[in-house]
Amino acid sequence: MNIIVCIKQVPDVTEVKWDENGSLIRTGLPSIINPNDKHALEAALALKDVHGGTITVISMGPPQVEESLREALGMGCDRAILLTDRKFGGADCWATAYTLGLAIRKIGSFDMVITGVEAMDGNTAQVGPEIADFLKLPLCSYALDIRCEGDKVFVLQNMGDMVRELEAPLPCLITAEKELNEPRVAPMDMLMEAYAKEIEIWGMDVLDGDPANFGLKGSPTRLRKVFSPKRIKGKVEILEGDPAESARKLVEKFKEHNFI
Amino acid sequence: MDFNLSPFEKMVQKTAKDFCEKEVTKIDAYMAEHKDYPPDLLQRFAKARLLGMDVPKEFGGIGSTNFNLILFAEELGKTGSTCMLPFFMNNSVAETICHWGTEEVKKKFVPPMCDGSAWASMAFTEPGTGSDPKALTMVAEPDGDDFILNGTKRFISMANKPGYGIFFAKDLSMQGAKTDTTAFIVDKFSPGITCSGHYELMGLDGADTCDIFFKDVRVPKANILGEQGKGFKILLRWIAGERIQQAAALVGGAQGALEEAARYSKERVVSGFPLGFMQGFTWMLAEMKTKVDASRLMVYNAILLQDQKKPFEVPSAELKVFVVPMVQEVCRMAVQIHGSYGYSKEYKVEKLFRNAMHGGIVASSLEINKTIAGMAYLAGR
Repeated sequence: MNIIVCIKQVPDVTEVKWDENGSLIRTGLPSIINPNDKHALEAALALKDVHGGTITVISMGPPQVEESLREALGMGCDRAILLTDRKFGGADCWATAYTLGLAIRKIGSFDMVITGVEAMDGNTAQVGPEIADFLKLPLCSYALDIRCEGDKVFVLQNMGDMVRELEAPLPCLITAEKELNEPRVAPMDMLMEAYAKEIEIWGMDVLDGDPANFGLKGSPTRLRKVFSPKRIKGKVEILEGDPAESARKLVEKFKEHNFI
Repeated sequence: MDFNLSPFEKMVQKTAKDFCEKEVTKIDAYMAEHKDYPPDLLQRFAKARLLGMDVPKEFGGIGSTNFNLILFAEELGKTGSTCMLPFFMNNSVAETICHWGTEEVKKKFVPPMCDGSAWASMAFTEPGTGSDPKALTMVAEPDGDDFILNGTKRFISMANKPGYGIFFAKDLSMQGAKTDTTAFIVDKFSPGITCSGHYELMGLDGADTCDIFFKDVRVPKANILGEQGKGFKILLRWIAGERIQQAAALVGGAQGALEEAARYSKERVVSGFPLGFMQGFTWMLAEMKTKVDASRLMVYNAILLQDQKKPFEVPSAELKVFVVPMVQEVCRMAVQIHGSYGYSKEYKVEKLFRNAMHGGIVASSLEINKTIAGMAYLAGR
């Protein structure tokens, strides 16, 4: 089984520091593989453990994304491709899906594409489905479980309050939920090998697409403003008295604020 | 502080952090409940290929460096988890056998220590001695193709776990020789071996340190490690490496305590100011950070010497002289900054403080190391 996994490098928000105005300090922020994408990687590795085959990991971004691709190789992926070109810069979901889709088409034969459900720095959950649309692949999103039998895949899909069981022919595209699995830690020997492997670099000229569709130029969405919402500071009020009296006071407060 | 680590070394640090978050938290939860290591502890390390890090691939290791090992040791030390002991032991004993053993010995004993099927131990200490080979009372008497070992070893980590240990005994066939300590590789489940219960230690919660008793235990002559009568040299080399690993873990523990103290001192408000911005506490944090950073430099220096196959015994002793008081002081200050909370088991600094106390005692005492470092300095002048 040959699987392609798309990953994104994102800032590690657990290490985020804020300045005195409440703004994010981006300088020196470490980068990590987007957490959902790690579940996508683990899903592919688990399928490879059972069915064999190869895993190709691809990512679009600046040259420093190489570190995340090496980590993916260390986890057990076989081939890594970095899509990097200044012309890819500023891409929205559509342009990103277009670029990744072209790369997947160029890779050629595959049984499955797996992405994370969404990236922690954008939270759109659109890129995976848009790649499926671009490549005309069946889409199994929000996967909680993946099982392959013959040329079919069975996926449990997280629908919030309920779970659906989907069946799709291969090849297809799956987006991985965090509940799908527990990503493995890259074993030390494979990490060492990962740093000896070559990472393929593909630019716009390799992808054979329409230059007007890449990056900011090809993005239908425009980012108008990024801001930190004002923090609302509340105060704690203790309602004195026995339980019945306190409850009465609480109801009065609710009425006062039009909650009831 | 930037030590100019390579991208790969930075990835090792990140992977170590990942391993601690995913595996060590589970291991600690098990140990808190069972007061012992999880039975599959070594398999967890082996799965991440963290055993036999400095062992060639042909013997089941991964052929990495000791430097990468101590990057892991730092992260493990930061957690305060006792699982660092088997991690160190399996790595260092496998490396020691690789250094001194014959091809046959290496092929037999090293792979099980790397794949996690054997728990390694190192046993020199006895009720009456911790560092004097002349005072050893465990004896080894030749008998045909075997030696028969009798005696008691004290405070031995993982002594009651299945696997192999290097045991040091007075070799009765070497009587009259200048040195008569021989190192034997012993299957810890051999007939005639029994163990005491665990010692309740001040720190290193859940450690299975115990006494091990030998009554007419047969050990094949083929299991002798290195030269007969030259066992003490093996111990000294092993312990010099172990001291560096231990120092790395202690630096990790001090770093952990520093980070906890820094976080608390920013959260805790006194008279309208965060605690950390009151000069007395700012100065404490400054001292703590400076000492931790300086110690880390010393650790990296010593481990690079070992990786470059240069003499590292004296720098490793000097390391202990500096790092042990450092970690004890830094952890004490972290407890002090936390006030009553720091004295409570609810807070991590309490555990790190207790762990720090083992630094001056385990893997050779602080005082012995001062003697080694001082004598070496005088001899070189």
